[in-house]
Amino acid sequence: MNAISYYRPRNLVEALKVIHDYAGRAKVIAGGTNVLPDIQAGKVKDCVLVDVTGLDELSGIRMEGDMVFLGSLTLISDLAASRTIREQANVLWQACQVFGDPLVRNRATIGGNLAYASPAADTAVPLLLLETTLIAESLAKGRREIPLTQFFRGPGETVLAPEELVTSLFFHSTSSYQGAYIKFGLRQAMVISVANCGVLLKGTDTFQAARVGFGALAPVPLRATQTEAFLCGQVPDESVFAKAAAIAQSELHPISDLRGSREYRVMLADALFKQAMRKALA
Amino acid sequence: MDQLTESMITIFLNDQPFQAVAGASESLLDFLRHRALATEVKCGCGRGDCGTCAVLFDGRMVKSCLVLAAQANGKRVYTIRGLGRDALMANLQDSFIQHGAIQCGFCTPGMLMAAYNLLRIKPTPTRSEIRQGIAGNLCRCTGYQKIIDAIAAVAGKTAFVSEAADSLDSPNPTATDQEKAKAGYLLLGGG
Repeated sequence: MNAISYYRPRNLVEALKVIHDYAGRAKVIAGGTNVLPDIQAGKVKDCVLVDVTGLDELSGIRMEGDMVFLGSLTLISDLAASRTIREQANVLWQACQVFGDPLVRNRATIGGNLAYASPAADTAVPLLLLETTLIAESLAKGRREIPLTQFFRGPGETVLAPEELVTSLFFHSTSSYQGAYIKFGLRQAMVISVANCGVLLKGTDTFQAARVGFGALAPVPLRATQTEAFLCGQVPDESVFAKAAAIAQSELHPISDLRGSREYRVMLADALFKQAMRKALA
Repeated sequence: MDQLTESMITIFLNDQPFQAVAGASESLLDFLRHRALATEVKCGCGRGDCGTCAVLFDGRMVKSCLVLAAQANGKRVYTIRGLGRDALMANLQDSFIQHGAIQCGFCTPGMLMAAYNLLRIKPTPTRSEIRQGIAGNLCRCTGYQKIIDAIAAVAGKTAFVSEAADSLDSPNPTATDQEKAKAGYLLLGGG
């Protein structure tokens, strides 16, 4: 039986009820840029597509004090065009410029990019660097906060229960940091990263704070915490970058797949990290 | 409202109401080509890689193979055919012809849509920005240079934004469209 049906809730309460009632069979669809190819490939079948694009309350960029709040349905193109994001979360803004292609950015949502849990997801590393917290809601568990560092479990797997929906996310402004996000793909657009790297740095003479993240170099996008600890208090120069890159290697677990071999990814991690450091400090 | 394996979908296609039944997992691309017979929308890959199925959907340029037909219910959809009278699109079309930016023509509807999308947001892009603007669209004939030349020639020339383009920004169908639909001016089948 390969029956796919469709349901379009009109508000959040109705959406949560539908996802609850069809828990396990419900498949949330927003922009559809992942779900449609998966339907085409036969990976999505026998499910109820719950279309959340009618939930206007889940869309938008808002600042309160030094906190930035994003609705989970906020489009990547809106983030890419947002002055708030460019100024308060520049590393995320950079990732949104290279996400998919201009037409895909017009459909893809930030919540969808995270919930799909690709190890290569373009917004995952920047949002990890921003120490993002997600808000998930469900009828059974109500509303709970999930730090993004605890969200990903493996490729395509998250800590979300089947009846939970990511409704928003928030993080502190990092306007006093310098950041860079670099992805390496096999084409200029519509590529899944072979590897990606982001850094967020504070301090010019010595690093007062350093956040380093990698994507597509382990089963989940991750923060390289030992590399970060090493960088704090160091001066920004090439020998420090080289030592830090060597530490980063010990924190990564790249695999071989159709986009690149394990050995190739090891070299990429080294190169992308150094490039990101130079770009952030430039 | 219950979960449905198929449902009646009404879209406002190039300013005309069109209604047909669509399957729950049917893409807007399939709906446009097979139900509305809008075959100017091409299918190259059906999974978001090639861009030749681009349409203006709900005020935004998108790849129609990545949208569910059901998600388009009640929304405005413009294909390349519907934008032909728009000044910017007409200029782009002329420029593509003048620059020989077409060989087999299969990517052309999508290339024009991506170029249109770029120039509406950024009227005077650099060549590098033009490349980025069409980076999600594949062409297997021209090597892209003539397409970039054609877009660059139009960039900056259309200093005004045409009225038609302004009306495309309204996300929801106008009352007149709704009234037309209610009054039974539904085009069933046909393009």
